[in-house]
Amino acid sequence: MSEVILEVKNLKKYFDTPRGKLHAVDDINFSIEKGKTLGLVGESGCGKSTTGRVILRLLEATEGEVIYEGVNINHLDKEGMRRLRKEMQIIFQDPFSSLDPRMTVSEIIEEPIKLNKIIEDPKARFERVLELMDLVGLSRRLMNTYPHELDGGRRQRIGIARALSLDTKFIVCDEPVSALDVSIQAQILNLLKELQDKLGLTYIFITHDLSVVNHFSDDIAVMYLGKLIEKAPAEMLFTNPIHPYTKALLSAIPRPTLDKKVEKIILKGEITSPINPQNNCRFSDRCNHAEEICRSQEPALEEVAPGHFVACHLFKK
Amino acid sequence: MSDKLLKIEDLVVQYITDDGIVEAVNGLNITVDRGKTLGLVGETGAGKTTTALSIMRLIPHPPGKIISGGIELDGMDLLALNEQRLEKIRGDVVSMIFQDPMTALNPVITVGDQIAEAIMIHQKVGQAQASQKAREMLEIVGIPGNRSNEYPHQFSGGMKQRVVIAIALSCNPKLLIADEPTTALDVTIQAQVLELMKSLKVKFQMGMVLITHDLGVVAEVCDDVAIMYAGRIVEQGTLEEVFTEVKHPYTEGLFNSIPNIDDRKEKLKPIRGLMSDPYNLPKGCSFCDRCDYAMPVCETEKPPKIYFSDTHFVECHLYRDQQDFKLKGGMK
Amino acid sequence: MSNKSEVIATENLIKTKKRSQSADVWRRLKKSPTAMIGLAIIVLFLFMALFAPLIADYDDEAIKMNVRERLQPPSTTHIFGTDEFGRDIFARIVWGTRISLFVGLISVSIALSIGGFLGAIAGYYGGRLDNAIMRVLDVLLAIPTILLAITIVAALGASVLNLMIAVGVSNIPGFARVVRAAVLSVKDEEFIEAARAIGANDFIIIVRHVLPNSMAPIIVFATLKVASSIMGISSLSFIGLGVQPPTPEWGSMLAGGRAYIRDYMYIVMFPGLAIVMAVLSLNLIGDGLRDALDPKLK
Repeated sequence: MSEVILEVKNLKKYFDTPRGKLHAVDDINFSIEKGKTLGLVGESGCGKSTTGRVILRLLEATEGEVIYEGVNINHLDKEGMRRLRKEMQIIFQDPFSSLDPRMTVSEIIEEPIKLNKIIEDPKARFERVLELMDLVGLSRRLMNTYPHELDGGRRQRIGIARALSLDTKFIVCDEPVSALDVSIQAQILNLLKELQDKLGLTYIFITHDLSVVNHFSDDIAVMYLGKLIEKAPAEMLFTNPIHPYTKALLSAIPRPTLDKKVEKIILKGEITSPINPQNNCRFSDRCNHAEEICRSQEPALEEVAPGHFVACHLFKK
Repeated sequence: MSDKLLKIEDLVVQYITDDGIVEAVNGLNITVDRGKTLGLVGETGAGKTTTALSIMRLIPHPPGKIISGGIELDGMDLLALNEQRLEKIRGDVVSMIFQDPMTALNPVITVGDQIAEAIMIHQKVGQAQASQKAREMLEIVGIPGNRSNEYPHQFSGGMKQRVVIAIALSCNPKLLIADEPTTALDVTIQAQVLELMKSLKVKFQMGMVLITHDLGVVAEVCDDVAIMYAGRIVEQGTLEEVFTEVKHPYTEGLFNSIPNIDDRKEKLKPIRGLMSDPYNLPKGCSFCDRCDYAMPVCETEKPPKIYFSDTHFVECHLYRDQQDFKLKGGMK
Repeated sequence: MSNKSEVIATENLIKTKKRSQSADVWRRLKKSPTAMIGLAIIVLFLFMALFAPLIADYDDEAIKMNVRERLQPPSTTHIFGTDEFGRDIFARIVWGTRISLFVGLISVSIALSIGGFLGAIAGYYGGRLDNAIMRVLDVLLAIPTILLAITIVAALGASVLNLMIAVGVSNIPGFARVVRAAVLSVKDEEFIEAARAIGANDFIIIVRHVLPNSMAPIIVFATLKVASSIMGISSLSFIGLGVQPPTPEWGSMLAGGRAYIRDYMYIVMFPGLAIVMAVLSLNLIGDGLRDALDPKLK
């Protein structure tokens, strides 16, 4: 058993909205081992990005704990958090808006090093910037260009270089490839994988695209309207999904192949938002199998096979 | 009347900017048969949307300009028509669905009125009749008719896209151009909308050009596929032909870049490099600097069009001398 | 082959050192001919202000009344002519530069720094702080600028320093509004969150990321405000609360010459022209600077 690097316990994040309390993240639990990747999957509004931001304390948790290498980060003061940020980083979805348009490539990569006083000597710092550019496959001649002059793939490489510029051990990848073209997407995915092997990084990989995480993750957690509804080792989740939502999600992905062995499950209804949720299964109004109990009682996350957790009333039958 | 609904021949569209000329579409040929769906596949900057806007004759001018070529829709020469005639055709004979349903609807007009508006522009009907038809259209796309008095913000993303589809189909167009209609939607909602579009294209018997970057979507909806790269069709054929006998290295690269959901061990083989600078396309094959099979001739000469069947062709030097050349593989 | 390209890359590196941001801005600014013209005019004015004693004698030419030479048209001895008291208009414009331009620039600087600070924190932090700051400033905004300035000068007493403070303070709400709006438009951008993720504190985020990205409207507003400040000063001078006669000041020269405008147009034309030139040049610089600060416009 290897070492757990991050543990999330009963994490909740609520937002006040004019229509009531939005339960963006509602009581979720998981842990990640060092050097592994957890895929956090779900559709818009399921709370996956909020979860990533609460873990990094870019948002404050409403309740619950985030424990990183044995330290409860919710209780850290500013200085402690600053020290921790050198190890915990994030890669954003949109390589267009996540880079300051008024800074050059080298300035963007240099900023975290300078800010955290990792390397004080300007010359050595600049060397480090060039090293990082090499590491992520950015040509050195681009150092004086501005982000808007580059394509999405290169911009995302800048974001990755920046995330790696500190003593990074843990990265939240928030949909890092969904804004990119397919051929570029594959380049970035391979790069992230390489970097993980080379630097022993731990990832939380947030995405709406199951086929991307399938490739990438050791474990996968599926979220729906703020709840964790299924979590299992990737292999198991793909071969034996249990929750009706996971099944539908898997079947809904358009496959670029002519032999249709997977039957499509078309869900009814729309994705709502978890404002003032009732005590029921949040998926029950879209579920094709919903029964009385699903509408009156919220299912708990239970272990149905070693490592495979599901929150559904129906699996017992 | 021929069975060709849309015929584009040697279309060249350029954007003339201060920084130079962007050859967005250069020498494009496609045809769409009546009642058939053509998937136009390519990545950002391939010229897909420019092609769609050319068919609508909505290329922003300046800077865009249709330099040469011909577009024939339902027997009409679109490039010869004046603006007045075009307005009659748009929305009536040919409709377009845009990628982002969030911005495609006017937020201060009810969805019913927005559909009715489209109907009243093209058909001689009164307000009441148009509203009635609008409600029917909503039912057709799976929205209860009594929601026609609601405003767009009361609908979710998937519902809005349904409304957009209802508007596009309200005058029974012969050709529907759908520009990435499901890209902005969630996976389960995308499945719903694709299902809807499949049933509607049968119901309305219309031809469709589906623009997408997603080969998975193509596999589900299309009859024919055209792969576009740097303003040209590099490979075209029926769905079956393109998916079972990939010929162009770029098409192969696209397939290999997609993570295969059914086989997690498989390694991703991305296409190396980036798309060529549209201001400065290479002299020979536009794909040659990213191609694993590139030969000296690829850099200097435009590749010829080589036919494998009546429907399946590829633009590539590899097959010039040996028709049975096999790509390295990677087909799933 | 890859080795070779690396060698080339390192060679390039030696030549293309890292460029600094300010050098970049200057390089882009130089490309704009209008901005350069504006800069040239302003530099000329600054020289005039600095070397006024060398150009014209203050006591003798600029303020000493000389009834015998009153209302003379431009000539070789008085290139801009003389005013109703026989003072040399050119000399008065040269000496007036010191007051008009500096009071204009400094009062705008006061307004920009205080209003900018308040607007930035109001926009960035939002919520109650925003409400508190903006409501107070709204009250100030409700009072006409000139009335506010009159009140302040009346309370503090008429002097050049108080004049700058009065005009500056009365411009604070406007600047706060503009800066706040600009900050609001960028503070939710993802790169702000990205900066927070690397451990940047609020001060660094505001100074390094928020403000540089909200510069465009602020710069345009500031250059316009310099012009209206010069006019505001002359209004105050005109009602006797600003610069006291006979101290030369563009606005009061304009006001004083008003009565003679039909027959001796040059009395108002030249100070008017000075104001126009100063304002125009500042606008040109402002426009050029706005574009130069934006790397997206080459």
